[in-house]
Amino acid sequence: MIESTVKYTPLLLLGCVLIVSLVVGLLTRQHDKGGYGIQVHSIGHAKIGAAIASNWMSAASFLGIAGVFFLHGYFAFAYILGWTGGYVLLLVLMGSQIRRFGKYTAPDFVEARYDSSVARVFSAVIAVVISLIYCVAQYKGIGLIFAWMFGIEYTQALIFGILVTFAFLMVADAIKASRNQQMHYLILILSFIIPLMMIAKKLGYNWLVPQFSYGSALRDLPTQVSSDYLYPWTFGTPYEWIALCFTLMVGTAGLPHVLSRFYTAPNNRDARWGVVWGLFFIGLLYWSAPAFGAFARSWMTTSGMVLDPVEALALADIIVIKTAEWVGLNEILVSVLAIGGILAAVSTITGLLVTGAGTISYDIYYRLINPNANERHLRLVAKGATLVLALLVLVIAVNPPGLIAQITAVAFALAGNTLFPVFLLGIWWDRTNKYGAIAGMLVGTVITFAPILFGHLSPTLRAVLPPTSSALIGAPLVILTMIIVSRLTPPPPEHLRRFLVEKVHSP
Amino acid sequence: MAMPQTNGQDPLKREDLRINFFRPRPGFMRKEVTIIWITLAAWAIMTFGMPIHLAMVHSDPARTLAEVPYIFGIPAYFWYSGQFLILWFIFLCFFFNVLIDWLNSSYRRRR
Repeated sequence: MIESTVKYTPLLLLGCVLIVSLVVGLLTRQHDKGGYGIQVHSIGHAKIGAAIASNWMSAASFLGIAGVFFLHGYFAFAYILGWTGGYVLLLVLMGSQIRRFGKYTAPDFVEARYDSSVARVFSAVIAVVISLIYCVAQYKGIGLIFAWMFGIEYTQALIFGILVTFAFLMVADAIKASRNQQMHYLILILSFIIPLMMIAKKLGYNWLVPQFSYGSALRDLPTQVSSDYLYPWTFGTPYEWIALCFTLMVGTAGLPHVLSRFYTAPNNRDARWGVVWGLFFIGLLYWSAPAFGAFARSWMTTSGMVLDPVEALALADIIVIKTAEWVGLNEILVSVLAIGGILAAVSTITGLLVTGAGTISYDIYYRLINPNANERHLRLVAKGATLVLALLVLVIAVNPPGLIAQITAVAFALAGNTLFPVFLLGIWWDRTNKYGAIAGMLVGTVITFAPILFGHLSPTLRAVLPPTSSALIGAPLVILTMIIVSRLTPPPPEHLRRFLVEKVHSP
Repeated sequence: MAMPQTNGQDPLKREDLRINFFRPRPGFMRKEVTIIWITLAAWAIMTFGMPIHLAMVHSDPARTLAEVPYIFGIPAYFWYSGQFLILWFIFLCFFFNVLIDWLNSSYRRRR
């Protein structure tokens, strides 16, 4: 589906947005260092929440969810609920305790809690792989949007998109621009919801709350299509739905870049209340996303457009933009959607690549390979690692293994199978030791990748452990492994257990 | 990160450093774990209860869509999953925070 014309409106808009965000970043960078004031009231909590939400919103939220709903109807709610309910799990089970523990990255926590540099390296490698998989999904989004914008092939668009990302990253790094999280969130959510309202209006549905009027759109579909969408098990079995939802939830609670967000708030209480707002802000997007899929189907019915499954699959991940284009929305509004998608993807990529490279240079290179490296040397390694990571991502993204939401879900499965149990038991069971943690991470990694690598050999394996949903069985298995191995090996040192009692589990 | 030397209660007895979610330490941790259990139960039942219910009661598409209650012309479970549960999650976080705030302040006053 190559369209040969270059679209100038979105291009122009993209240029403007990049320049404006650099200028704003330049102007506001001094304010960031001051940190928060002493008194943070509810407006402060809303600010923290917006930062949580802007950190969270990636191409998977912006493009992926609508795509899954467009293809699979009710089944998409497993994604939506997994990616929101996970915050409840994080807040309730680990938020306060990990914050009291006082370690801000996954490798730091693992080394401090398990007193083992081997465990640290394991967790660092896992964190990097999670970032890699996550980035592949983002790049797919960028590639699709650029292909649509320039009317070029996906692979070319992908390479071009990576160059743009890098140019932006380097310029931002050179002028040391900071990103205003609240502004970023506001831009993303408005560029998502305003075009959606206009789409609803064009199709003649209630445009004030498209979150509800998409129900009418679904009802107006031909009976067979409509009931396929509404019936919960048309596109997946109850086991698949529950396994996916659970996997995304534990994955959210174990995702390193979500966890780090817990520390940017000034104190524990503000961090907790920030989550309430964050969830609301994320909810605004997720309440709305299925509407794109529903309106797309509605337009297809009225216009008589028929897509075969392959075409539908190819369109799903940019259905957000396609819907706007199909219903004949103003060109600027269509562009706004496209730019929103690019911004969501680029900001996620830059954040993940930078932390991924940091993990490689510090946690792996400095701690394992060359302990004598100086800071300049490390920064060089980090730059090189960014490049290598980006190239690796590119190689995988050329043939994307699935929908954006599905690729992202694999990253969640890995986090849920490895880091989540390591955090959970590390906090809630003093007897967990380094042997248990290492064994657990190994088993978790095998469980995550076995269905991907060997799924084609055994349909049973793929049915029991779908690649996107392996943590429903995986996470409990890993927890069991950790308990058994820890029981068979000596307990962790007393100072660690004392620290847990006196610091982590005290008010 | 100064670590106090003793707990002060019973220096003769060998110190108990056990942390276990299923056997919480008396006092603060036990109350905290109770709050966690309540919130987790409300989270799990509401999230997974609906798909389990739908799977058990409604395995036939035609009959399901004919029998379930409707809101705005759409089956109620659809709104429940797509819209209401996110609200429920927000409420749970709110509820949990209020209880934890109360627990923290009551323990800080006591010290």
